[in-house]
Amino acid sequence: MNRNVLITGLGAISAPGLNIPTFWDALKAGHTAIKPLKLAVDDVKISVAARLPDYDPENYFSPDELTLLDQYSQLAVIAATEAINDAGLINNEKILTNTATIVGSGCCAKHTDEDTSVKLYKQHRSRLHPLTIPKGMPSAAANMVSMHLGIKGPAFVISSACASGSHAIIQGMSMIQSGVVDVALVGASDAPFTYGLLKSWDSLRVVSNDTCRPFCKDRSGLVLGEGAGMLVLESEDHATKRGARIYAELAGSGMTSDATHITRPDITGISNAMNRALNHANLNSDDVDYINAHGTGTVLNDITETTAIHQVFGNYAKSLVVSSTKSIHGHALGASSALEIIATTLAIYHSIIPPTTNFTLADEQCDLDYVPNKARDQEITVAMSNSFAFGGLNAVIVLKKYT
Amino acid sequence: MVLEKVAEIIVKTFHCNAEDIKAETKLESLGIDSLGAITLIFELEEAFDIEIPNEAIPSIKTVNDIIEKLEGTGH
Repeated sequence: MNRNVLITGLGAISAPGLNIPTFWDALKAGHTAIKPLKLAVDDVKISVAARLPDYDPENYFSPDELTLLDQYSQLAVIAATEAINDAGLINNEKILTNTATIVGSGCCAKHTDEDTSVKLYKQHRSRLHPLTIPKGMPSAAANMVSMHLGIKGPAFVISSACASGSHAIIQGMSMIQSGVVDVALVGASDAPFTYGLLKSWDSLRVVSNDTCRPFCKDRSGLVLGEGAGMLVLESEDHATKRGARIYAELAGSGMTSDATHITRPDITGISNAMNRALNHANLNSDDVDYINAHGTGTVLNDITETTAIHQVFGNYAKSLVVSSTKSIHGHALGASSALEIIATTLAIYHSIIPPTTNFTLADEQCDLDYVPNKARDQEITVAMSNSFAFGGLNAVIVLKKYT
Repeated sequence: MVLEKVAEIIVKTFHCNAEDIKAETKLESLGIDSLGAITLIFELEEAFDIEIPNEAIPSIKTVNDIIEKLEGTGH
């Protein structure tokens, strides 16, 4: 059995805004959400970040609900609710009973883990709240999304660092293609602004204190973000039969593992992932109009990704349009890949390519069309979204305009 | 005194009506399930600075059962 998979609902909470309309407005305008980072502690070197604007969990959840909701689960539930609403499926018990819930996350419930450590090791408290385990287990977001929305199909969490969202989306796509479910709620959530994670990122020395400038000569690293992006995927039959709004088609996916270095990306691993995705979609490289790049703004990623694109696309690479929306929403780790698939979906749907913002001067080794600073009106028939995680876990998704 | 304090904690944790809480009231009738009972015991341990052993938990069915356990610890 092979069935076409369509995207019929979108939800996002991220630094550009707390919902899809604000997210898309920032992408179209090329407005970066990266700002000076204000912290209560003074020994963190990271000084800029893409934080959620004015996020107050009590606007979304009761105090009782919050005792069970790590911040990563909160964001997943908020984005999932928007996506299910957008797909017109809220309270549709018949459909939601057989819908899958697959949430990716790079960091999972780190807030709860760190709070627990503070209580035990710093405050020397003798006991912990009984809900510490269910709140802090890595699968918590899938539990909370399914419980809040009444979704009763297969549910679990996938973790593959910065590719978690892409892997979750591919898993949902595969479950629809193989007939396990007709509908899947997929995406990712990450809430990495904990003291421990910030200090850990400090030590890795890949975070910029300027801003995120992918592919530029003066780029100085990635900028951390946070948020969640969720999508409703649906088989073509199911979506068309119920008259759902269709944003785009998920045409193919390619996954590889570098098996080389824990942080350095590998040209062969990521080229193979792009090639596999094109083969899976039955498309040629010159069918692709737009690539939403992994584009972190680190020295190594941007050159490696550009070189791999040349390797996969040959002479056609120069005709491609490539942009990194991380310059706008920051690197929200696992959630970033989901936010980027949403950005790519909206780019196809609205025929607008979001720019690589904060762009100054291109690196000599980065010689593609990166859509500097200003969005471009252009119809997109086929697009690709790249996600390359630490540990060399690569996931590439090909999307098509639905006609 | 102890009943008042226990009732106050139950109200705060489970948002029940204070007038529904009597010594003989069953926790179940207040909508407190087994996970709720564990949560209540945690709140009581915090408030009274005591330890209620696991073995004591199955016999806690009513508000009075809780009070007896607390009195057993000197409260």
